This record gives sequence, C-alpha cells and structure tokens, in this order.
Amino acid sequence: MKKIAGFEFELTRNITIGQYVPTGSIIHRMDPRIKLASFTLLVISMAVCATYGGNLLALVLSCLLFYVSRIPISYGLSGVKPAIPFILILAILQLLFYSEVASGGKVLLNYGFIHITTDSIRLVVVSALRFVEIIFLSSVLTLSTSTTQITHGIESLLRPLRTVKFPVHEFALIITIALRFVPTFALEMEKMMKAQASRGAEFGTGAWWRIVQRTKDVFPIIIPLFNVAMSRAEDLVLAMESRCYVPGSQRSVSKKYKAYRTDYAALIFCIVFAIVLLAFPFPY
Amino acid sequence: MTEQPILEVKHLQHIYMKGTPLEHHALSGVSLKINKGECIAVIGHTGSGKSTLIQHVNGLMRPQSGEVVVDGMNLSDPKLDIRLLRRKVGLVFQNPEDQIFEKIIGDDIAYGPFKMGLPIKEVRDRVKWAMEVVGLSFDEMKDRATYALSGGQKRKVALAGVLALRPDILVLDEPTAGLDPRSRNELLEKLKTLNEQEKITIIFVSHNMEEVAYLAGRIYVLADGRNLVEGTPEEVFGEADTLKKHHIGAPDTVEILGQLKAKGFAVRPNAYQLEEAAKEIIAVLRQDGR
Repeated sequence: MKKIAGFEFELTRNITIGQYVPTGSIIHRMDPRIKLASFTLLVISMAVCATYGGNLLALVLSCLLFYVSRIPISYGLSGVKPAIPFILILAILQLLFYSEVASGGKVLLNYGFIHITTDSIRLVVVSALRFVEIIFLSSVLTLSTSTTQITHGIESLLRPLRTVKFPVHEFALIITIALRFVPTFALEMEKMMKAQASRGAEFGTGAWWRIVQRTKDVFPIIIPLFNVAMSRAEDLVLAMESRCYVPGSQRSVSKKYKAYRTDYAALIFCIVFAIVLLAFPFPY
Repeated sequence: MTEQPILEVKHLQHIYMKGTPLEHHALSGVSLKINKGECIAVIGHTGSGKSTLIQHVNGLMRPQSGEVVVDGMNLSDPKLDIRLLRRKVGLVFQNPEDQIFEKIIGDDIAYGPFKMGLPIKEVRDRVKWAMEVVGLSFDEMKDRATYALSGGQKRKVALAGVLALRPDILVLDEPTAGLDPRSRNELLEKLKTLNEQEKITIIFVSHNMEEVAYLAGRIYVLADGRNLVEGTPEEVFGEADTLKKHHIGAPDTVEILGQLKAKGFAVRPNAYQLEEAAKEIIAVLRQDGR
C-alpha cells in the first residue's frame, strides 16, 4: 500500500453508471423517449463522421451538453480517464497497421512495413476524438436520466419489435435490474473488501505473474459477493411476486410520458446536427 | 499520573465524495480519548458518522483532517505499517457473517492468522482460543460446514475470525443487530468476559440502549458528525432531554424513572442498571405504603 490510502476502498466513487445527478436542467426534464432517440442519432452520426471539422464540432457540442445539463464536466472526464490507455493503444495500432485501409493522401513516412499517410493520421485523431465524444454523450445521458426513465424509454422505443415476438418488456426489465444493482454490488464489494482487509487480506499486491496467487487473493471477496447476490436475487423475486408481478402479462405504466414542443425542437436539432455531420462537406 | 490513551482521535473530519456535487460531510470534528481496558459505546442517530469513525480506527480510512493515534501509531503517517495496525485493532463489521467464505468453520477462523504468516501450531492454538472464547467447542465445531450454521452461530464464527488476530482493541459495529434475543444475550456476555478477563479494549456502536447500559463503561454520543455528550452512563442518561432532541432513546429503566420523576416521585432518573432502577421503584412503593 504505497499511495496514501484512504480512498482505496471507495469503489462507488469511480462508478458513474447508474448514478443520477439531479440538477433539474432542460436535459433532465426531456421526455426520455425523445432523449434516447436524439442521443442515439448523435452517437451514430459521430461514429460515422470521419472529418476533422465534423469531429471538432461534435466535441464542442458534447462539451456544451454538460453546460446545458449543469453537470460538472469533471464527471465526463473521469469517464474518459480509464479509457486513455485503450485510446492510446488503439492509436498506435492504427498508426502502424492501418496503412492499407487508409492509404489515400500524402505519404509522410515510408519505412519498412510502416506507412504513415495523412489519411492514417486522420484516422487516428478522428477515432480518439470519437471516443471522447461518445463517452461524454453517454455520460450526460446516464447522469441526467434516472434508470427507470431510461428503461421506460427503451421499452417504448423498442415497442415496434413486439410484432416480431421480441420480448421488449422482459428485455427492459433485465436492463433495469442490471443497472439498478451496479451501485448496490459496488457497495457490497466495498464492504467485503474492508471486512477482509481488516482480517489481514491484501489485494493486488502480489507480483503479476503469480496469477494463481492473485486469483486466490480475491476468493474472500468473490465468494461472499456471490452469496449476497444470490440472496438479493431471491429477495427481489419474492418482493416482485408479492406485489403480483407475473412475467409476460399485460402491464400498464404509472407514469405516462408526454413529449412537449421543446422535446420535438431538441429532436429536430439533433436530426439537423446529424445530417450536418454526415453530409456537410467539411474542408478538413 | 496521566496514562497514555490507547486510542486518541482529535478533531477528525471526513467528507465523502469530496469535490463532487454529492459531497457529504460524515464527520465534522470528532474527538475521542480511550484508555486501555475500557469498554466504550458510541451511540448516535443514523447518519451521525459512527461507522465512518470506527473505520478510521482500523486504517480503512485515513484522516482527511484531524488526527487518529492508535497506541502511538499516527494514521496520518504515510509510512505507517498498516498490517501491524490491523493486528492491533480488530474490526467486526455489521452483519459480519456475510464475510465468511471458507467451507469449514476452522479454515475461516484461521484465515487471519495464516495471513499473518504464523506457524501452523500457533494458528491452531489461536483458532482454538478464539472458538472457546465465543463459545464454540473447538473439537466439535472446527470441521463443520459454515453454510449449515444458524445466524447466531455464524456471527460467533465471524467474531472468532477477528479475535484469532488477538487484537488489543476490538471494534464492533452493531454487534447484535438482527440476532434473536438469546444469541444477543450470549454475545453480550462474551463481550463482557473479553473486556474483563482478557483485558481487551472494546469500542462498540449500538442503537440498543439496553445493551449500552449493560456493557459500556463510558459513552460517546455523536450527532451530525460531532461530539454531543460524553461520560459515564449515569452522566449521559442524565441528559435525557439533549438525547431526545437528537432522536436518541434511553434505556427503558431511565425512561420509566424519568416518567416517575415527572409525576413528582423522588427517584434518581439516571439509575440505569436494572437492579438500581428496581431499588428506586421499590423505595417509592415503600414510601407510598407508609
């Protein structure tokens, strides 16, 4: 334990999934169905857009969304931080081995098997930007929407799939439960780590090549965690059944969402933005 | 002659999720001074910072501001040998039976001592001692399966697992929560024995005032992350009004005597022990009969 400890067990601090930051902004108040649809549109257009100009514009928009939703941008950055190694590795791989895919443009370097062209550099930069944009976007979405709203949104957006016998409701329920229990199990795991640490357990201190030892080190956490998960699942089933939940039966919702003019305006804005990203001939 | 306290906490502060919108002040300046061999109760309403406080004693949390000194070891020191500290201070969490992970009782209790790197014979002796202290027969129970135990027995196993580290200070977070009355009384007796015969310093958090009255030699009352009242049970339960204001109850004995006093009977309202309270009430009855 080299670094000054004190936060080593605060796992919940690092988990932004399923965390809802209520600020009551316009984005928070949006109809979840429209919000999901708009964000999906934005993510798809950002994933396809391959120009510097377009991606810069998208980056500006995703930063603006933090401002509009009144969520500190540090939340978004803390989501980017763990992704940095992946972004870097991806960038290096793309730079070295993607020359055949991105062979256009001017050749900048040609040494052995390494061909670096303006196109491959563009690919590297654009994919890194995309990463950040999409992490920002999904952070804003999850931080501004409660999990119930997200699942209601998913459920009503997927409703057309019912005609092909897709179990839309069950699917939405699974997502709700999974999201709902992420922070719960993080807390549970935190508690378990603390309890075992006070009995002398140490985690992640063994050398990395001693895989067996390091795996054994986590048994004292994993086994109780499974037990707890099982008993929680049992409790959940009982609680749901005692409130008359029957799988597959017709259900009504307590809260009907209603889309207002601002919601449609936001949707139209996102459609226009997506079209601009995809179709506008950015000079770079 | 002032004795060096075994645990000293000075103006300890802790803020959860510091620097985020969800920032939460759990401790805003708590001080404790606990001498060797004492049995201390920490009480307070939910969210008063009790659990955060006791996690500092074991080094699971380090002081953000303020000081925690355990037997001369300062927890603000980054070079502190945390393993040594955790051997000195045994921490029993809420619902400790959740932490049992081995199939066999004996193995689970031996986990801590093994991690300390003790020779097998020493480990065996410690497991035996710990099991006998909590009232589990070593020969009978050591090879039993952990999953088949009752809630009360599981808690005993978990307690033995911490005791096997032979700590000088035992810290317990709501040790009797969720136990049936019989296991509760048994556990309280064991803790009293540990404190009186094995001279282990005990610090426990509790919501149950009866068990506080039974065990504690001194009480610290926390409210909103600060010290509210401290002192012997007589002193603390004498301040019934302050306690009530912070949603902290008093033992039934104190409640009854308080109501008698309010009706104009001459009783000492802070005679919290069962026998003393009974004596007070008998005295009142005798006066009436005369």
